[in-house]
Amino acid sequence: MINQIRISGYLLAACASLTVTMAHAVDDSKDRGKSVSDAEFMQAVKESFLTENPNDFKRFQDPTLTTCNQTQDQPSPKQASEILQRERSSIQLPKNGQYMGDWKQGKIWVEGAHGGRIGFPGFADADHPSKPNGANCYACHAVDPNFPQNGNMGPSLTNYGKLRGQGAAIVKYTYEKIYNAKSFVPCSLMPRYGAGEGHLLTAEQVADITAFLLHPDSPVNNPKQETVAEAAHH
Amino acid sequence: MNKLSQWMGTITLACLGSITVPASASDDAKFDDYRSALEDGNPGEFWIDDGEELFYAKAGPKNASLDRCDFGLGPGVLEGAYAQLPRYFADTDKVESLEGRIISCMKNLQGYNDKQIQEQFLDIHYLNAAEEDSRVSPLSQIATFIASKSNGQPFLIQLDHPKEKQAYELGKKTFWNRMGAMDLSCANCHAVKGRVLRGVELPIMTDPHRAGKVMGAFPAYVNKDGNVRTQWWRNERCLLAMRLPWLKTGSPIDTSLILYQVKKAAESKQEIAVPGIKPRA
Ligand code: HEC
Ligand code: HEC
Repeated sequence: MINQIRISGYLLAACASLTVTMAHAVDDSKDRGKSVSDAEFMQAVKESFLTENPNDFKRFQDPTLTTCNQTQDQPSPKQASEILQRERSSIQLPKNGQYMGDWKQGKIWVEGAHGGRIGFPGFADADHPSKPNGANCYACHAVDPNFPQNGNMGPSLTNYGKLRGQGAAIVKYTYEKIYNAKSFVPCSLMPRYGAGEGHLLTAEQVADITAFLLHPDSPVNNPKQETVAEAAHH
Repeated sequence: MNKLSQWMGTITLACLGSITVPASASDDAKFDDYRSALEDGNPGEFWIDDGEELFYAKAGPKNASLDRCDFGLGPGVLEGAYAQLPRYFADTDKVESLEGRIISCMKNLQGYNDKQIQEQFLDIHYLNAAEEDSRVSPLSQIATFIASKSNGQPFLIQLDHPKEKQAYELGKKTFWNRMGAMDLSCANCHAVKGRVLRGVELPIMTDPHRAGKVMGAFPAYVNKDGNVRTQWWRNERCLLAMRLPWLKTGSPIDTSLILYQVKKAAESKQEIAVPGIKPRA
């Protein structure tokens, strides 16, 4: 009872505060702090971040991202072709030479979010390098229709193989796109999974994921399964 | 005496027992219900009490308390000080965040050296940031106490000093710069309307109204890990997800990222309400 009253009082206060006139948002999307030079930024980075591995600082200085940052993701045609060439040259095949691996393994890599988190010594949420990494594709894509969450930064990949088939060209494209998204779209929002400092996946894992997207038996290319509750409802 | 460890277990269970945390943030209304239901019994209040005890207790090589610490409005003036942080301090010739300033006062007033600060305060503060192994950090307790003294006031960020302007620009640059093994910037996730990440709606930190709500709630009690978390912690958690190295509390990038987002918050004139409540990290 007392709880009820207090809560409604709180809600009233919350509603009242909504009427505060909103200031006009400053649009920083063009400026992006460009008065700070890359050298000044790196100096601040060196002072601000702790790591036992000096290579980790390369994660702030990737040549492709440097161009993307300087051009606000709009590289000139010359810069774009430099990026595409550099990123294309990073792509390697799995040891067995096959673009398609095991889709059941691929399912695990696509769902997993473990991998690459750098901690402070003793910090419990850092990722141990001895465990295989996941790719967390659901952060950005809908993939398997049975998976409960997805993001919307990338297009839906549900029915990917059903829509595109398994021809040699699509198999190769899918593998290469996952291995290095920036070998097709210079400043793609999608991470480069097979290349770059701290990249998350091995070539074999990329092949497994390629199979997960394309194999006819993969849940990606099959209708959503009814849950027990939904089935009972029918 | 540490009231927190005495009471936290029972109170947390009593308050939270009947509330189900919604799995997805896309339903903001559910969260509002959740937050208001907790409003009566915010376990974060214990951090204020414990922080107050720590703030006035004599400690360190000089056996002095922090009560003469100048947070920008004069020695020992706490009312409204957090609302104007981060800001420039002449004695250190630096722009400092709340945690950064507390550390400076621990050095200047209590006589701790860098090594002692690291071993006695920062190590635990850093380990405390884990969801899996969350602990109580005295630095967070003191920060929560100081911040609560600005409750009811909006952030007021002037950027009068050239070093404040510089820090703001560095924060802007850091926020918009793509980096890390995910090739992403903070802005990629927090400056575009309608983006959802693995089922979680992403707050637009460049929108003053949203930034006001978010920044004015820190230090906030995060229910999932049963701990109070500061603005530094929030930035570190996202940098961790971007696969970047460990952000030092009070470092130039920490302070700048806070300043950039708090400046946005200040434009909304929303009032600080600390400790806020967050259902999860
Ligand atoms: C940070 C967000 C993000 C993550 C994480 C991400 N992607 Fe993407 N993905 C995108 C975006 C944005 C696009 C569209 C732009 C482009 O093609 O580069 C895309 C495009 C694609 C495409 C091309 C689709 C087409 O129609 O040609 C494929 C295939 C793909 N992603 C697969 C994956 C897989 C598999 C994973 C996990 C290993 C993944 N993505 C992780 C953002 C992401
Ligand atoms: C890959 C996307 C992504 C990136 C990149 C990212 N964040 Fe976040 N951020 C999130 C998610 C997810 C949350 C949790 C939102 C929630 O729980 O409601 C979050 C939460 C936050 C919050 C707290 C919001 C709240 O409601 O309490 C702040 C502040 C924040 N991020 C700042 C940053 C900063 C600064 C950066 C860059 C250093 C950054 N983020 C980079 C995804 C991202």
